[in-house]
Amino acid sequence: MASQNGIGAAVKRKEDARFITGMGRYTDDLGAHGQTYAMFARSPHARAKIVNIDTAAAAATDGVVAVFTGADLKADGIGDLPCGWLVKSKDGSDMIQPPHPPIAVDAVNYVGEPFALVIGETLAAAKNGAEALSVDFEELPAVVDLASAARTAQIHETVPNNQCYDWELGDKAATDAAFEKAHHVTRMDIVNNRLIPNAIEPRAALGEYDAAAGSHTLHTTSQNPHLERLVLAAFVNVAPEAKLRVISPDVGGGFGSKIFVYAEETAVIWAAGKTRRPVKWTAERSESFLADAHGRDHVTHAELALAEDGEFLGLRVQTIANMGAYLSTFASSVPTYLYGTLMAGQYKTPAIYVEVQSLFTNTAPVDAYRGAGRPEATFVVERLVETAAREIGMDATDLRRRNFIQPTDFPYETPVALTYDTGDYEASLDKALAHVHYAAFAQRRDASEAAGKKRGIGFSCYIEACGLAPSQVAISLGAGVGLFEVGEVRVDVTGSVTVVTGSHSHGQSHETTFAQIISEKLGVPFENVTVLHGDTGRSDYALGTYGSRSLAVGGSAIVKATDKIIAKGKKIAAYMLDANADDVEFEDGSFNVTDSNQSLTFAEVAFAAYVPAKYPLDELEPGLSEKAFYDPPNFTYPAGAHVCEVEVDPETGVVEVVQFVAVDDFGNIVNPMVVEGQVHGGLAQGIGQALLEHGVYDDTGQLLSGSYMDYTMPRADDLPSFTVDTTTTPCTHNPLGVKGCGEAGAIGSTAAVINAVTDALGVASIAMPATPETVWRTARGE
Amino acid sequence: MNVTLTVNGTEHTLDVPDNTLLVDVLRGQLGLTGTHVGCDTSQCGACVVHLNGDAVKSCTVLAGQADGAAVTTIEGIGSPDDLHPMQAAFRDNHALQCGFCTPGMIMSAIDLVQKSEGLDEQAVREGLEGNLCRCTGYHNIVKAVLAAQQNMAQGGN
Amino acid sequence: MEQAGEYRIPAVRKEVWRALNDPAVLARCLDGCRSMTPVGPDEFEADIGAKVGPVKATFAAAISLRDVVPLHSYRLQVRVKGGAAGFANGTAAVQLKEVDGGTATMLNYRIEGAIGGKLAQIGSRLVEGAARKMTARFFERFAADFASA
Ligand code: FES
Ligand code: FES
Repeated sequence: MASQNGIGAAVKRKEDARFITGMGRYTDDLGAHGQTYAMFARSPHARAKIVNIDTAAAAATDGVVAVFTGADLKADGIGDLPCGWLVKSKDGSDMIQPPHPPIAVDAVNYVGEPFALVIGETLAAAKNGAEALSVDFEELPAVVDLASAARTAQIHETVPNNQCYDWELGDKAATDAAFEKAHHVTRMDIVNNRLIPNAIEPRAALGEYDAAAGSHTLHTTSQNPHLERLVLAAFVNVAPEAKLRVISPDVGGGFGSKIFVYAEETAVIWAAGKTRRPVKWTAERSESFLADAHGRDHVTHAELALAEDGEFLGLRVQTIANMGAYLSTFASSVPTYLYGTLMAGQYKTPAIYVEVQSLFTNTAPVDAYRGAGRPEATFVVERLVETAAREIGMDATDLRRRNFIQPTDFPYETPVALTYDTGDYEASLDKALAHVHYAAFAQRRDASEAAGKKRGIGFSCYIEACGLAPSQVAISLGAGVGLFEVGEVRVDVTGSVTVVTGSHSHGQSHETTFAQIISEKLGVPFENVTVLHGDTGRSDYALGTYGSRSLAVGGSAIVKATDKIIAKGKKIAAYMLDANADDVEFEDGSFNVTDSNQSLTFAEVAFAAYVPAKYPLDELEPGLSEKAFYDPPNFTYPAGAHVCEVEVDPETGVVEVVQFVAVDDFGNIVNPMVVEGQVHGGLAQGIGQALLEHGVYDDTGQLLSGSYMDYTMPRADDLPSFTVDTTTTPCTHNPLGVKGCGEAGAIGSTAAVINAVTDALGVASIAMPATPETVWRTARGE
Repeated sequence: MNVTLTVNGTEHTLDVPDNTLLVDVLRGQLGLTGTHVGCDTSQCGACVVHLNGDAVKSCTVLAGQADGAAVTTIEGIGSPDDLHPMQAAFRDNHALQCGFCTPGMIMSAIDLVQKSEGLDEQAVREGLEGNLCRCTGYHNIVKAVLAAQQNMAQGGN
Repeated sequence: MEQAGEYRIPAVRKEVWRALNDPAVLARCLDGCRSMTPVGPDEFEADIGAKVGPVKATFAAAISLRDVVPLHSYRLQVRVKGGAAGFANGTAAVQLKEVDGGTATMLNYRIEGAIGGKLAQIGSRLVEGAARKMTARFFERFAADFASA
């Protein structure tokens, strides 16, 4: 019975019924009695001192309920927004974290930084109030260019040279020695362009204060409501943890940008307590552009040392990473532990040394965006490998095969701190090449040539470390939180099941895939399983969704809880059937006594647990509800091969992606339909980075790509249909054998596209995004 | 000003300020929160509804401009037990993930299919160019629209 | 945003200089200027109605004259605070030169401008276009004022 809706089946989604009929409940769809509206006043300057804020006219504006500045929050004991990952510099010193008040107090450091909030009876009143604020700024020169940011004006008093940290990983001496004996060295300067995440649902918050209970409730667009609550309680001092409930209802996409604890929800929930009125805020898209954490933004020099036969001897990487004006919640970990550790890629490179300098600039904070560090690492490694192949005149796939870690090498310890558990990289590459008809590529290239077009092909064999993460590993590397997950399986009296998970779905389909797990494990009909998530009032402390961790970590917690249910159910069944618990087996939804025809259905056992007529109450508690925390022993290592084929029109510079093949190894798969969808979305973002998207500031720190007029989102006619396939080496260390699939598309694809475009043009490199103008100029050698 | 709208078959007369947008009337006053707002420059399509049978971005239409018109929102085209073929095709083809773009996408797609014949993949892609989706990469949306085209032609809506 | 231009004005330099310092003249030549009130030496406040793309609005501008070298040059600084919309700053460096044996004056200007906040984020192209047009119109009218006088 399980198979039809169990693990491995392409079950249609439970959540769709409400979404396709307009019944989804997103934060902005909610309202509270007596609700007010918040409007944030935002800095028009990239860097300025706040000399004075005159709030009198704003406060006197019709319909304005209250006006608050950063000073008001500070005076009320509201703390700074913390960064949750402490990275240490080469010399052992701690990274420098500049103060980050939720609402600016003395200075503003990026365009869009909030310096006041106005609460109005209506949104219009709040806007009028914000308009009436009179502010004296003393403008200061802005630090915008990343490459020179360490040598210009100092942004924060406590941060010399604007340097957050200067980090290293790997064996420098061994790597230098490897370069000494190199037959060939490939060197590249690589810029990883700034991206703006742009989930289609803008961030929003609705804060309420219940004076009777003395408690706060915050509905907000968060990927991890417990983390939000922890930060707001323990660091920002909004309310004690037990008096603060954070709920993430339906959330319209996150891609990392909704992991973080932002100024706006902080101010909203605080203001609700202050004004004793519900306060609501929904970002306008222009606010999202300015004040959502951005992604990527690296400047890198990288070198690969090769032996004569193409063997990789060593890899050296120097990166400057942009942190923006302040450290966002996990910003420090992205260009370090999620980046440097991935530099081995799929290869046996024996010596690797990575240096990362993270700098502050007068731009929006930069933090995790789909893939977070791993797309940047993949881009460095796969651009280098492809370029090296071209330089030494070897087929790019052959060079990769020459260096792949082989299936017999696992577990494989890399020189950059990870131990890969399993994989078969050649299998994915072979399958991808078959899909793309690699053997016939030369003919296709000739046909394009004849038509005045240039055709190119590019590869990217990526690896990622996800399923974040073993708590003790993460904590030893500086994480301020554990990274386990909780799952609770509540069997109802009638045998239906309610699952409460700490993972959060904002598109990932947990209501469906987690129900499939229950259906498979407990034999309960899929329709009878309900999955609840996103509410600190419902689940135990949990860590939420990011880093492709929901299934590998959250799903594993649920499996552990079902194991407990089955174990208890066996004891109940044994008692009811007068058998020995060891002789009871659970299969296909019934408890059977071995070597007998005695059996009880799952529903019968559940009923007995709650109506304990014949029940061993002296040994066993009544009820059938179990909870488990799962802490993964290792990361998971999804890997795959992406191949992109493009055709470039040299007259116009337009790049058409004519084929995109992704063959991924995600381990076991619970719902192939959902997995394919995740890959599609990731590919679109990766291709978007390569060809379309770019967050651009002018040299005074004004955001030029601040709306959909100037920030080019991939649209339906910019993309092809994709060919998506999988290979499988099950993860060796979690009960489902799963690895996670949420980020792979965005991690692997960007390098494949740029490898294809440079192949088509016959150039060594091209800046991202490879827009028609850039391509046209590059083709003309400009 | 007074505005009379027939929304999903029900007539409403509402007193709204002159500068009220149709989307705010639908979401705020009528509680039809299926129509979403994803941008402030008329470029995402999350807010698409039908105005007298044509797909429009309701963030770009003043309530006053819609006076006397018939408006259909996502809530008006089908219910979980009686889905419009386009809704069913979105579900069957996994054409949505977070669901935020979905109502606008479905309303645009219905209009596209109703007004053209024999759409192929490229035509669907071009026809949906005004709607952003950040989750699906459009692959399954295109598949869904092509599938719905078949079903709608075979006597669906 | 940068822009420059040159006009030959059929008047002696002293006259031109006087006009350049006369709020009434400045107000007359500035498109949409509703009022120009002196608030200090070389400082004025102006209300300017401007049409930027599809939007018509009134802005309060602070105008000041800087680096004044009588008869020769100054910098005309215009700062517009657009409230929640951001800001727009512009400076016109104006120079006068006697030509045709002192019977006429060459006026040469070079403007630099910056906009910030929402104006830059969403409206940069529109605002820059409007500002260019306004500046060009200003000097055109200023020159025309003399021709007709
Ligand atoms: S809300 Fe984006 S187009 Fe209407
Ligand atoms: S499904 Fe999330 S934006 Fe389209």
